[in-house]
Amino acid sequence: MIKLIGLSKVYKGFHAVNEINIDVMAGVIFGFLGPNGAGKTTTLKMMAGIIKPTSGQIIINGINLAENPSAAKQCVGFIPDRPFLYEKLSGLEFLLLIAGLYRLDHTPLLDRQVSELLELFDLDAWKDELIESYSHGMKQRLVMCASLLHRPKVLIVDEPMVGLDPKAARLVKAIFKKQASNGTTIFMSTHSLGVAQEICNEIAIIQKGQIVAKGTSKTLSRTVGVDDNLEHTFLKLTEDKRFMHEKSLPAH
Amino acid sequence: MKNLYLLIKPRFLAFKNQLISSPGGKRGRIFILGGAGVAFCCGMFIVSTRVLIHFQSVEVIGDLVARYLLSMILLTFFSLLIFSHIITAVSNLYLSKDLEFCHSTPVSVEALFFSRSFYTLMDSSWMLLIFGLPLFMAYAYVYRPGAGFYFTLFHLNLAMVIIAAGMGILITMLLVYVFPAQRTKDIIMFIAILMVVALYFLFRFLRPERLANPDSFFSIMEYLSALKTPQSPYLPTQWITETLWDSLTVSGGKSHIFAVTLTWVTALSMVVVNVWVAQAVYIDGFSKSQEAKKRRTVGKKILDMVVRCLKKPFDEDLGAIIAKDFRTFFRDNTQWSQLILLGALVVVYVYNFSVLPLDKSPIQLDFLQNELAFLNMGLAGFVLSAISARFIFTAVSAEGEAYWVISSSPLRLRKYLWGKYVYLSFPMIFLAEVLVVFTNYLLDVTRFMMLLSSITMLFMVLGIVALGIGFGALYANFKYENIAQLSVGFGGVLYMIVSSIFIAIVILLEAGPVYILFMSDASGRTVTDFQWLIIIVSFVMVMVINTLAIFKPMRMGLKALRAYEG
Repeated sequence: MIKLIGLSKVYKGFHAVNEINIDVMAGVIFGFLGPNGAGKTTTLKMMAGIIKPTSGQIIINGINLAENPSAAKQCVGFIPDRPFLYEKLSGLEFLLLIAGLYRLDHTPLLDRQVSELLELFDLDAWKDELIESYSHGMKQRLVMCASLLHRPKVLIVDEPMVGLDPKAARLVKAIFKKQASNGTTIFMSTHSLGVAQEICNEIAIIQKGQIVAKGTSKTLSRTVGVDDNLEHTFLKLTEDKRFMHEKSLPAH
Repeated sequence: MKNLYLLIKPRFLAFKNQLISSPGGKRGRIFILGGAGVAFCCGMFIVSTRVLIHFQSVEVIGDLVARYLLSMILLTFFSLLIFSHIITAVSNLYLSKDLEFCHSTPVSVEALFFSRSFYTLMDSSWMLLIFGLPLFMAYAYVYRPGAGFYFTLFHLNLAMVIIAAGMGILITMLLVYVFPAQRTKDIIMFIAILMVVALYFLFRFLRPERLANPDSFFSIMEYLSALKTPQSPYLPTQWITETLWDSLTVSGGKSHIFAVTLTWVTALSMVVVNVWVAQAVYIDGFSKSQEAKKRRTVGKKILDMVVRCLKKPFDEDLGAIIAKDFRTFFRDNTQWSQLILLGALVVVYVYNFSVLPLDKSPIQLDFLQNELAFLNMGLAGFVLSAISARFIFTAVSAEGEAYWVISSSPLRLRKYLWGKYVYLSFPMIFLAEVLVVFTNYLLDVTRFMMLLSSITMLFMVLGIVALGIGFGALYANFKYENIAQLSVGFGGVLYMIVSSIFIAIVILLEAGPVYILFMSDASGRTVTDFQWLIIIVSFVMVMVINTLAIFKPMRMGLKALRAYEG
């Protein structure tokens, strides 16, 4: 469903993303982990068609993003890490804008779908309020609503849990699992290793723009020779040995 | 004191870093803008000097008028400074993004208040330097005062800025204490626009051009004396005018210890009063400003109805963009209220033509009427460029940080950009035709001139709008704090220059053919083959220039938008 082939992004000689190759099948929740500045957001933005790769290819649902961006984007729902929205629109108006951009006909079916999504994300009481009055978590939930509106085959998600309360975080996890079981591929970057371990079928760890490991949580642990704990695996792979054992944490 | 220094330091560091780390192109822009500023100052100095020399040449009343002008200048600066401080104080003291962090640190309220007041003073007072310096230097050039004048000029202006800052910040603190900060900002912006419109109308309808007519000069002087500057002894500008004028004109300088002391005591008192008021209400006001913004929308039904009509001729995706743009524009008070300015501009533009003394001109009336109609196209073009710089040039950047919604959607950027072009062209064409047709009607021009003006304006507007959209995309800035500032930034200024050149070329190219046709009609001679050739070549070139003005900037803008990486 998603193929990244030799994908690179270079900024003035700096390789933010360096020749990465990833293949994700339909219905998989793929966790994309890495330390800050490793190249996660850059990769996700390239996949969403927001920035152009320096080299390499992005194939989504068999469509080359560079050759046919509109068709490829039609299959994608994108959830950015920071929910910048049109503050002067109401939540409902924002969803209708998204529906328009994805060329969904304004039919009673669409209205019903919008209502269901707003209810699902606990936003129905706020649908006519201006977005500028929403909290961060509400904006994040609204973006999620919007990303699911056109029933995408691929969901690209950057840090989905930031700003969400425990109830919303649980809801989001449940929704992702349900979407995946219906065949949607979810490509998710996160720092929440617990969430990644809980819901991701496959994981890739990126460091300094390169993929340093790929597989399931278990196979990764086995490969690096640590117990089945994604945090330990992650620290080992990113070679931050200081935090491998809590005893070695710096004392204050 | 140390905390105050630490709080002020980031502003200087940011400025220094911007200068040092700016890439070559950006530094070039800073120099170009700086150069434009210097050129503006020089121009203002030259014009002011000429005016003052002219005043000096008028016996008895010349110096009176110059003094009157000085007091008017100071009063205008003082009022503008107060207003400017009110507007910037709302942002600096209550709405800045870094304030939450600053308030969470253990610095005192006084230190924080002082640092933000200092930011406000710096942000609001630069205009005194740009606009005031050439004016005051023109006075110095004409009246040749001693060195004492420059010292007096500096310290009294500093005192005036402190008084204005104190008043502006005080008013802001009290307003925010009563209303939430966001609402206060909206109210202030709205009042500011109404005031500007009122002043604009007042100034225009007083017909200052009559000053140029020597016959009516003395009646104008009577009018001037009737419309005295408020010569209140309580106004700081009155104390400053007296002191400055005497240090300009009286050799050795008359002592004005009382006026100077009064000015500085007022300035320092304002500081003390501000600190007292800040201690009492600043934290409460800041706390209020953190409250949620407006939740409900006003006039939703009407807006929905208009939006439904507007988006009808367009596809789903473009219709959605139009609906979004329209709603956002009319819900943002700082945006739609500028339409009032636009309305005032149009009224005064038309009024100017209605008061033209055509019958007093020594030139043949019908020739003059048609010549003016021709110049009218250029003038209307410049007016439309200015409007376009504010509303069209910023149309792409108006997406703000939500631009990811567009760039990650299946909507093609080409369609997005051309869509904006198409729907923004309609109101601009309407405005252009109203301006040109109505003023031509007032001028009572020939049918040929009316037709030529209408068609030329139609194509010129298509070029002006394309230049606006194209340059707006080329210099797109999605991380602005105030969208109005974009139109006076580098891209906006460059757009205005290019747009003006485009208008000038079109007018120059059409001038020859129009002259030939008009003269042949007036003299009853037939147009020769060679003249027809000139006419055809000129109009073909106009078509070529128009086509270039439409497609070239749009292509450049599209390319820049595709390469945009935020």
